[in-house]
Amino acid sequence: MRRRTFLRWASLGAGALALPRAARALPETSRLTIGQLQHGGRWNPRPTALRRLLWELAARTSIETAPDGVALRAGRPGLHRFPFLYLAGDGPLPPFTEPERVALRRHLQYGGFLLVDSADGSDGAGFDASARRELAALLPGSPVLRIAREHVLYKSFYLLDHQGGRVLVKPWLEGQVVDGRLAVVYSQNDLGGAWARGALGDWEYECTPGGEAQRETAFRLGVNAAMYALCTDYKDDAVHLPFILKRRS
Amino acid sequence: MGGGGFNAWRLAALSPWPRWALGLLALAALAAVLLAWRGLRGEPRPGRRAALLALRALSAAAALFLLAEPAVQLLQTARVKNRLAILVDTSRSMRFPVEPGGPSRAEAAAAFLRAHRAALEALGDRATLEWHTFDRDVAPADPAALARGAEPRGGRTDLLSALRAVGAGSASGRRLAGAVVISDGADNAALADGLTPAARAALRELHAPVTAVAVGRDAPKDLAVERVAVDDFAFVRNTLTVEATLHARGFDGEPAQVTLRREGQVVASATVRLEAGKERYVVPLSFAPDTTGTFVFTVQAPVFPGEAVVENNARSFVLRVIRDRVRVLLVAGRPSWDERFLRGLLKQDPNVDLISFFILRTANDRSGPQDELSLIPFPVNEIFGDQLRISDAVIFDDFGWEPYRSFGMEAYLPRIRDYVRAGGAFAMVGGEQSFGEGRYGGTPLADVLPVEVVDGLGMAEEEFRPRLTPEGRRHPVTGLAGGEAQSDAAWAALPPLPLLNRTRALPPGSGAQVLLEAPSVPVMGRPAPVVAVREVGAGRTLAVTTDSSWFWGFLAAEKEGGNARAYQRFWSNALRWLVRDPSLTPIQVSPDRPAVEPGEAVGLSIQARGADWGPAAGAPVTAELVGEDGKVVARGQAAAGADGVARLSLLPPGPGAYRVVATGPPAAPGAPPEQASSAVAVRASGPEDADAAPRPELLRAVAEATGGAFTALPSGGLPDVPLADPEVVEVGRRKDVPIWDRAGFLLLLAASLAGEWILRRRWGYG
Repeated sequence: MRRRTFLRWASLGAGALALPRAARALPETSRLTIGQLQHGGRWNPRPTALRRLLWELAARTSIETAPDGVALRAGRPGLHRFPFLYLAGDGPLPPFTEPERVALRRHLQYGGFLLVDSADGSDGAGFDASARRELAALLPGSPVLRIAREHVLYKSFYLLDHQGGRVLVKPWLEGQVVDGRLAVVYSQNDLGGAWARGALGDWEYECTPGGEAQRETAFRLGVNAAMYALCTDYKDDAVHLPFILKRRS
Repeated sequence: MGGGGFNAWRLAALSPWPRWALGLLALAALAAVLLAWRGLRGEPRPGRRAALLALRALSAAAALFLLAEPAVQLLQTARVKNRLAILVDTSRSMRFPVEPGGPSRAEAAAAFLRAHRAALEALGDRATLEWHTFDRDVAPADPAALARGAEPRGGRTDLLSALRAVGAGSASGRRLAGAVVISDGADNAALADGLTPAARAALRELHAPVTAVAVGRDAPKDLAVERVAVDDFAFVRNTLTVEATLHARGFDGEPAQVTLRREGQVVASATVRLEAGKERYVVPLSFAPDTTGTFVFTVQAPVFPGEAVVENNARSFVLRVIRDRVRVLLVAGRPSWDERFLRGLLKQDPNVDLISFFILRTANDRSGPQDELSLIPFPVNEIFGDQLRISDAVIFDDFGWEPYRSFGMEAYLPRIRDYVRAGGAFAMVGGEQSFGEGRYGGTPLADVLPVEVVDGLGMAEEEFRPRLTPEGRRHPVTGLAGGEAQSDAAWAALPPLPLLNRTRALPPGSGAQVLLEAPSVPVMGRPAPVVAVREVGAGRTLAVTTDSSWFWGFLAAEKEGGNARAYQRFWSNALRWLVRDPSLTPIQVSPDRPAVEPGEAVGLSIQARGADWGPAAGAPVTAELVGEDGKVVARGQAAAGADGVARLSLLPPGPGAYRVVATGPPAAPGAPPEQASSAVAVRASGPEDADAAPRPELLRAVAEATGGAFTALPSGGLPDVPLADPEVVEVGRRKDVPIWDRAGFLLLLAASLAGEWILRRRWGYG
């Protein structure tokens, strides 16, 4: 059996395993969907990434997910049906219009969450420069700052002390805080590239330099980001502290 | 000099010269004497020198006398009779015996007055007699009535104020010459701590001797709850210590069990041994109040045979038990936006102490090695055992019980039901693990839910617009805006919801009300409930049969001018209603004072609100006092004023603890009347009964400080009553009788001048 053929069968098997979960008949509107923001640049560099992340979320956690992300435009009605937004890009993107910025700002200020993911591995140019420009315009009162290692984002589900992604441009994540909560998380390490998986079950990109461990960390980061979006600082509640301290030591 | 009705005299100068001129003349006279003395320094014979000097001095004196024109002033004066106040103690402590087994102190005082009234009235020659009784205040009295015996009923003894009042008070302006106090000395006002320097100074300002007649010798056997030290309010479920001070006299090692009761129910007790010779005991009584509200507590000491006062063995006080923060237990079956926004709202609220537990992984999920996860095992025992007991409200958000059967979840469902019935609050929020989908139908929890849960009814997945029911328009949970129409409009403006758990309204009489319903989702011919509430036992429950209430916040805030207020208001109202926040009851009652003296009426303010939460002007309200045995002992009716406040006054029948129950008109036609309650204590004993001991030593100190006499009954008689000297006041005429114009003085001056001149010539002083 050729490798491709095996993978095809294997992916069908995985689909069959997932079936009973879908049969639990959770209404579509109650499932977690991620809204992917469209923009004037290459807004969807990893078309299979969110589908895989949502699949992993459903498989690893009690979060029930929709099968795929939903493409959205910031200025169109319905943005608030998706409290979790994803902004990705490869190369620079033209500025958002003012109405789009207003809508995004409103979304984040009322409790929304935005994950920004750079696919091009840029630092100071390309997508990175555009993203920083947009984030500064979006929440002018909240500078983009490095997220501390102790932040609840790194323990909202998995206990994490490494970064994941297709590349490792920065060994940390950055974010913007609104009312004491992370409203924006920004990764320069192409998380989507690590999540992307072809229809035949093969990973679309190699992860460098850490290989599969780095890919796994990318998924764990994705899971933690979703958990943080849905539970915020739940894991900082006193009831969890003794358990977490024991495992971290 | 004594003729013409004059009875006094004094010397005066009639000279028209001013005083300074007379002074100058005096200096000139002195200078004349000094000049003579200087001129005679060379005179060897002392006899001559003395004679000349004497003559010069005589001349100077005579000249001065003539210039000053002295006269005798004849005066007609009269003496004024000042006042003597006789003060008889009529405070309640005078009911106690003079000595164990003897007559009452009041009787002893009356007997003393009968025996010595004539002697006292004899003092009327020297001063005007004023008869008074005193306790809290001073009142004029008839001596004959005092001798028959005055009824001792004053609630306080304030000797210093009484003395000051008689010292100051007389329309004639006549001074106080003295006072006679007949009392047991059991002062419980300014002299309660003895004769302090301030009190001593105040007594001295009277300028009158106070003669004291002490009634009462030995303290009777008595046990009293003298004082209870406690704050005005306490936090529910936090341990509180009440410090009771016992005062005991005449005991010898008897044990005494002191109890603390809350409206009849003992909540704490302690035992002390009453030693001979030790009078004060501080007894700490600790307990943790378990419900919020206003209650009367009573500290009770046992009553021993032979005690002088029985009423002082208990003391009541009113305590307001409040919550420090509302403790909410939020259990979610999975992370979801509904859970996310509800948690965010509750976490933000400074009055909420939130305990969350979310299921992040189910048995089917493959997450990797346990030690790489931050997950903790589902602490079922901790949550539904310990936390449940101390929670004010429990919320199940899309949480199914069946998956946790192996954790013993089944056993906790009846516990939650009992927690609600005992006064807890429970809310179930929709989702595919809630209500019928979570197989709650037929469980013990279904007994307390505000909707009928039928397993298998399924979920409605078509968008629907909820609508307020007539009850919902007026209910504090769903009242989003001021009036009914505004609330309707506010709900209609919210986005439609995507999902509903199908349930059925409970029949009338179950205590449940549907507030918000889905007209487009009929269940057995009637709109399905969206929000329903229920009073069940002493507790309250809430059902929100959708997992999308966050649409009222985050989604409603999307359009320009939109905001999340409806969501915040709904959940904040719901939580406050669930935990019976007092500000959400349409009727409120508060007594003017938490405790009143025996015989005093209780003033009540009753605030009534209408269905629109505005003041219910003119609404009829009733108020009742309910005793510890549950019997209504007083009842009153009134109508609320324009501000929605009605004022009432009820007279409790006697000492004890009473619950105040106010009833207003029902919030809606057919609904039960609105009620509110508070508590009031009628003091079992005032300060007079707290300590039955006489204080003759205090009276002796008062007498000594003012220069008065002291005697003690029953043996003592009336001592000499010292009085301050009366003032002499001039009332009549005066007459000046000059003495300088007598010829002898002029002759004397002429003779002395002539004599000096002759001698000087003869002895050769030209």
